Amino acid sequence: MTPENSIKGKQPRFLRHPGRFNPVRIKTVLSPYGRHVRLSLKPGVTLFEAIVNPLAELDIRDASTTILGGTFNDLYYCVAPPDPEGRTVIAYSKPKFAGRCYMVFGNATLGRSSEGKPLVHCHAVIRAESGDVLGGHIVTEQTIVGSKPSSVLVTSLEGFELRQAYDEETRTSLLQPVEVERHE
Amino acid sequence: MNDFRLVESGKMGRVAYGRIAPNEDLILGIEKLCLAQGFKNAFVRGALGSLVDACLEEIDDKIIEVKGPAVEIVSLAGEVRSDENGTPCASLSGVVAGPDGKVYGGRFVLGLNPICVTFEVTLEEWLPDT
Repeated sequence: MTPENSIKGKQPRFLRHPGRFNPVRIKTVLSPYGRHVRLSLKPGVTLFEAIVNPLAELDIRDASTTILGGTFNDLYYCVAPPDPEGRTVIAYSKPKFAGRCYMVFGNATLGRSSEGKPLVHCHAVIRAESGDVLGGHIVTEQTIVGSKPSSVLVTSLEGFELRQAYDEETRTSLLQPVEVERHE
Repeated sequence: MNDFRLVESGKMGRVAYGRIAPNEDLILGIEKLCLAQGFKNAFVRGALGSLVDACLEEIDDKIIEVKGPAVEIVSLAGEVRSDENGTPCASLSGVVAGPDGKVYGGRFVLGLNPICVTFEVTLEEWLPDT
């Protein structure tokens, strides 16, 4: 971190990704409305299960969610330093174990993997038992919800899907919005 | 803002999801997304992604620069309001995590937060009562 006094003369740093540049820079889809759900994360199960399973019962398979704080056990997270092998610009680190934590705030996107299975992409701020405040990509399949239920605000994404697809430019599999045909 | 009001009643409207590509600016990207979908006013309902570097404003116009890549966006809140010409202007604040996991917070500075790999955002249209 560099504390500075002025933004005068500063320019953003761009990075050249290894793949072919895609001239479409914003992919966007629209839904006429979003369903809102207040979800309580079930203690003792993984964060992945606590989000995916109750929403599947409501037939919500694509959603944007806000985790409104709560305790977690066995929390694992990754950071994203430069890829040491240079195949991509960055690569997620091996999962770091943060143990028992308080999640201050998190956002999780629910979509589908390239195989059509549920996928949860989550970033969050956590406070570790040591008092350190950290942030990163949460490994939802390994992170266990703590004893008190945490609240999550869910906004469903209707009329389109979020699918994991290979992005040629970044050479990474990313969630991408895909319009779907409606079958009335 | 000419029409400053302490309380503005209204309702939520359409929901837009966007994936913004590398090297696009975070704030400008959200503003362009509103232009693309015809949103005059919107709230950020969910967002995550990464930045090449982050530039956040503190009080007294001081700024914090967090060097990446990648700087992860771990919390983002904000809104978009259109000016009298219909141009969307986004005000975004949040928390980012550097490559070492340390976190920093503040208001994102226009033009100095280029996206690293991807940025996923859900915007919900705000329709003020007339």
